[in-house]
Amino acid sequence: MRAERERFSRLGFFDTTFGVRISPDDGGEPAEFALRFEVFDCVRVVEGLAGVETDFVVEGPLGAWREMFDTIHALGAADTTQSLNTLTHFGERLRVRYDDPDGHDKLYRFAESIQEFLDLSARVDYTYPDGSRPPARRDEPRRTAR
Amino acid sequence: MSYLSTVDFTEDRAFVDRFQRTMRGDLELSWMDAPRERVACRPQNERRGLTFRDLDVGSYGFTDMPELIRENRSFAPRGAAMPEGLPDLQAEVNRKSEVWAYNIEGYYEEAMTRQWNATTDIPWGELQSVDLPEDIGKAYAQLLTFLTEVEMIATDVPAKWMGRLNADFFEVKNFIATQAMDEARHAEIFRKRALSTGWGLMRASAQNEFNLKFLRDADSFAEASLALHLQAEGMVLTLFRFSEYISPTEGDKKLFRLVMQDEARHVGYGMQHLKWVLDHFPERREAIHHHLDEAENFVFGGGYATEVLEPFIILSGKGLKKENIAEGVRITNAFQLKQADEYFERLAKCGLPERRERSRLWKMIELRKQSMAA
Repeated sequence: MRAERERFSRLGFFDTTFGVRISPDDGGEPAEFALRFEVFDCVRVVEGLAGVETDFVVEGPLGAWREMFDTIHALGAADTTQSLNTLTHFGERLRVRYDDPDGHDKLYRFAESIQEFLDLSARVDYTYPDGSRPPARRDEPRRTAR
Repeated sequence: MSYLSTVDFTEDRAFVDRFQRTMRGDLELSWMDAPRERVACRPQNERRGLTFRDLDVGSYGFTDMPELIRENRSFAPRGAAMPEGLPDLQAEVNRKSEVWAYNIEGYYEEAMTRQWNATTDIPWGELQSVDLPEDIGKAYAQLLTFLTEVEMIATDVPAKWMGRLNADFFEVKNFIATQAMDEARHAEIFRKRALSTGWGLMRASAQNEFNLKFLRDADSFAEASLALHLQAEGMVLTLFRFSEYISPTEGDKKLFRLVMQDEARHVGYGMQHLKWVLDHFPERREAIHHHLDEAENFVFGGGYATEVLEPFIILSGKGLKKENIAEGVRITNAFQLKQADEYFERLAKCGLPERRERSRLWKMIELRKQSMAA
């Protein structure tokens, strides 16, 4: 993110702490992380949500997260079906948990910054817990009319 | 030209003499001795820069500002020396609790750094290469027409009140200036998108405009803010999220994410303002309920606006075939319930949990949920 300082500076102040909860598809204990953003940067990532004051938590099964990250990795950015707002809007694939609607609204106040942060994962080389990798980059347009 | 100077300066001997002495180098310099507080504000966080919060010191600050602004009736910037003879500019809003919001200075700074450009930040070239099917294209153009109407009035409302607030409410005036700019940009982008779909603008909405007139003609800033920032923009925020959800292209999704950010900031101000009002001016609670009664009446009446409702159904069902419409009705129902739930949730968090019990809109929503469940 710091390497993309210019891009995130243009998007503006980005001040929120949110949680990510990933439930294994076989129903085991979820993996939890808290991400803290301040000014233009991601300043802290910690494992676990206990004792962390979050504005909201995005949660869902590993399969849904994986589909989103696979799409981003393959296309360079989320397509029309895999933007975070689309996935969470009706809670069909991912759900947003919150105590305070003001905290919840930060998901929307910083919507483009959060989406671009997630889209940066297209440039990261990583493996999933089962050792598999996201698909390689495809050279095709991701925008569809319908 | 209704306001005339009481002096014709070219004929005023004292003025002309003083001006000539000054321009010969005979300086008067009394302004240098004005008894003011000396400060040298510094950024608390260098990465963030010098913010309004960094300027919250002594007589320049906002924390110790009184509830009633009795002294400053002029444009004197808060903290400046006020000589005799400043004009009374007759600000209409002089009570802090009518305008103030927790973290108002933060909302302003966020607004300034998160400005964007409707002309250059949207991939217009990519959008032009996408041909939308006729039913989707027309429905989308109609939605954009409605949104342009909404955003035009949303520009007028903060602009109308800006000059009516006492100059001491500097941070609020600046924030609503950013809001007027945000809303103008929203009207711009929806108009541009409508005119780039291949269909242009569709039909204006009479029922919707009655609601917009209600927003514009509020009797006080507090009422205008309640109806605009919390009720209308809260519901429009859910609508923008829904619009992102049903958007036919990635470029349109980006468009809605950008407008959504601004809208959520305005809702944030509305929430923090209502909390401030209820904490500092609790006797307004009943007036707030009465205003919401009528605001919600207009919301419910919005169901008459088929030119607003039907595009949602077509866009979310992705077409006009029977099965598309059935799916569109299902999704649009879910959207409207979500819109109402989020609105009442925000009011409860602000300190109006009893709103659900008092609201006829809430009762209608509950009946609808029951009939859907049955």
